[in-house]
Amino acid sequence: MSAVLVVHGGAWAIPDEMAPASVDGVKAAARHGASVLKSGGSALDAVEAAVRALEDNPIFNAGHGATLNVDGEVELDAIIVDGRTLASGAVSCVTNIANPVSLARAVMEKTSHVMLTGKGANQFAESIGINTFPTDKLVTEYEKKEWEKHKKYIAGVMAHDTVGAVAVDCAGNVACATSTGGIRNKMVGRVGDSPVIGCGGYADNSSGAVSCTGHGESILKVTLARLVLSHVEQEKSVADASQLSLQYMSDRVQGAGGTIVVAPSGQWAATFTTERMAWAAATHKDLLAFI
Amino acid sequence: MLPVVVVHGGAGHIPKERSDLSTSGVCSAVRSAYALLQGGGSSLDAVVEAVLLLENNPSFNAGCGSVLNMKGEVEMDALVMDGKTLSSGAVSAVRNVANPIQLARLVMDKTSHAFLTAEGASQFARSMGVPEVPQESLITEYSRMRWKKKLAPDANPVECQMGKMGTVGAVAVDTDGNVACATSTGGMLNKMEGRVGDTPCIGSGGYADNMSGAVSTTGHGEAIMKVTLARHILFHVEQGQSAEAASDLGLAHMKSRVGGLGGVVTVDPQGNWAARFSSRQMAWAAAQKDTLHYGLYTGEHFTQIIEDHRA
Repeated sequence: MSAVLVVHGGAWAIPDEMAPASVDGVKAAARHGASVLKSGGSALDAVEAAVRALEDNPIFNAGHGATLNVDGEVELDAIIVDGRTLASGAVSCVTNIANPVSLARAVMEKTSHVMLTGKGANQFAESIGINTFPTDKLVTEYEKKEWEKHKKYIAGVMAHDTVGAVAVDCAGNVACATSTGGIRNKMVGRVGDSPVIGCGGYADNSSGAVSCTGHGESILKVTLARLVLSHVEQEKSVADASQLSLQYMSDRVQGAGGTIVVAPSGQWAATFTTERMAWAAATHKDLLAFI
Repeated sequence: MLPVVVVHGGAGHIPKERSDLSTSGVCSAVRSAYALLQGGGSSLDAVVEAVLLLENNPSFNAGCGSVLNMKGEVEMDALVMDGKTLSSGAVSAVRNVANPIQLARLVMDKTSHAFLTAEGASQFARSMGVPEVPQESLITEYSRMRWKKKLAPDANPVECQMGKMGTVGAVAVDTDGNVACATSTGGMLNKMEGRVGDTPCIGSGGYADNMSGAVSTTGHGEAIMKVTLARHILFHVEQGQSAEAASDLGLAHMKSRVGGLGGVVTVDPQGNWAARFSSRQMAWAAAQKDTLHYGLYTGEHFTQIIEDHRA
């Protein structure tokens, strides 16, 4: 049983000037997550490690480099799911935390809940010793400029570079993780698909693990992650399941996006209906990265 | 067969002295929603109306009567979904509004988003002219008593779970064959501040799709989320299972996979419906073909003719 890890750095019309850094970013994150798997680590540990690397990289819209809401503040969402037990952790609209995916994992492991939001999520972070960072430490010049430019949210004109990872480890366990700063100039308190279980991500040892990116409101409408796995449950390949689901999202609600999927067998796929998606896959043989 | 509306007032263990209140509450809500449907109203309007009435009824864990979080405060979640367009609106951890389901509907109708949380949701409510209500108006003696009981160091956890009023919800299909769902809750007694359960999470607390049907769920929120119960049930319907069989399969899966109990109300676009639960009780009521159906304990199914009050 060989382990596989796939990561994405967002599905959207990534401009040429950001492409090389995006490819480097997903490659580095995949390498990081793969090393966890190689040393016998769990799929859960691997996806967390990969997403942390993407959060720390300011080129992506998660953790450092997160996009700003209409009030010029950072509000972050994340989810992590363990396919073995379906244990899950999620945070929505948590402010100024460098690694929301790790906070989501703490919700999963240190509370009897699955999801915490807003001030409550921040209070929990503080209670377990996770630091908050001042907004200007997390925000890049690029995001500040973009926020100025687009003071008002305009549907269809934005980046959706949520980040995510899926993995299957040597024991055949699958896991997923997704993290985001949301949509630029979104309303205060807007929650997208990322932290909503079954939408931004889902993992179940009986079928596989999925992480999604793209137009959040569309992903929510079709519960995209869960939809992909329902096709896998009906014996479709991970590639077909992804294509069918993204096509459905396009036809039914005119939304575009991307998915990464891994099956317990080690089969994997990276699929997108947007212009581009930065992604990378690490198998025991090689490390591939695309945009 | 159409129209149909099915309503639930929560799955759990309702002590005998409160069960009459639950039963009359759901019956009353379903009657109003049914009258709306018979008058040509949409399934969306009907489910929002039913849930609004249950939010206003202090006997249920939604709106007024919501359970308190560990700080003794009220934080509410709600979801509404339109099966025709798959549009939805949701709010989580919202405070100081009397009707979270109305706010959820405003999110759906007046923003390009689908889900607002906490302070952002309150800001939006203010911008829409939704009146801010004092927290006290949402807290009942009963919910305060149960909060205090659970907080006491010698609290008996089993006893505290008794009288667990549940999340409220409704599903409907109108004469045009459009389905919709709505769910609303004060959440879990003594939950951590900011805890969000299944209710506002699309696919978990509810889902509606004209191609298969509508579901509203209640029960152990974290378990419902882990199996995305509402969506899971509709996958079964898509594969040819009846509303009842699909509901039972979903509840059984939740019990075996994650050890969670709960209840659902389900309707398909043809008007077939089900009210099923794996918990000890679920207050539910349905209306179809001028007949009121209702029950509380497993196996109960009472009926009553609905008098036509239209002049």
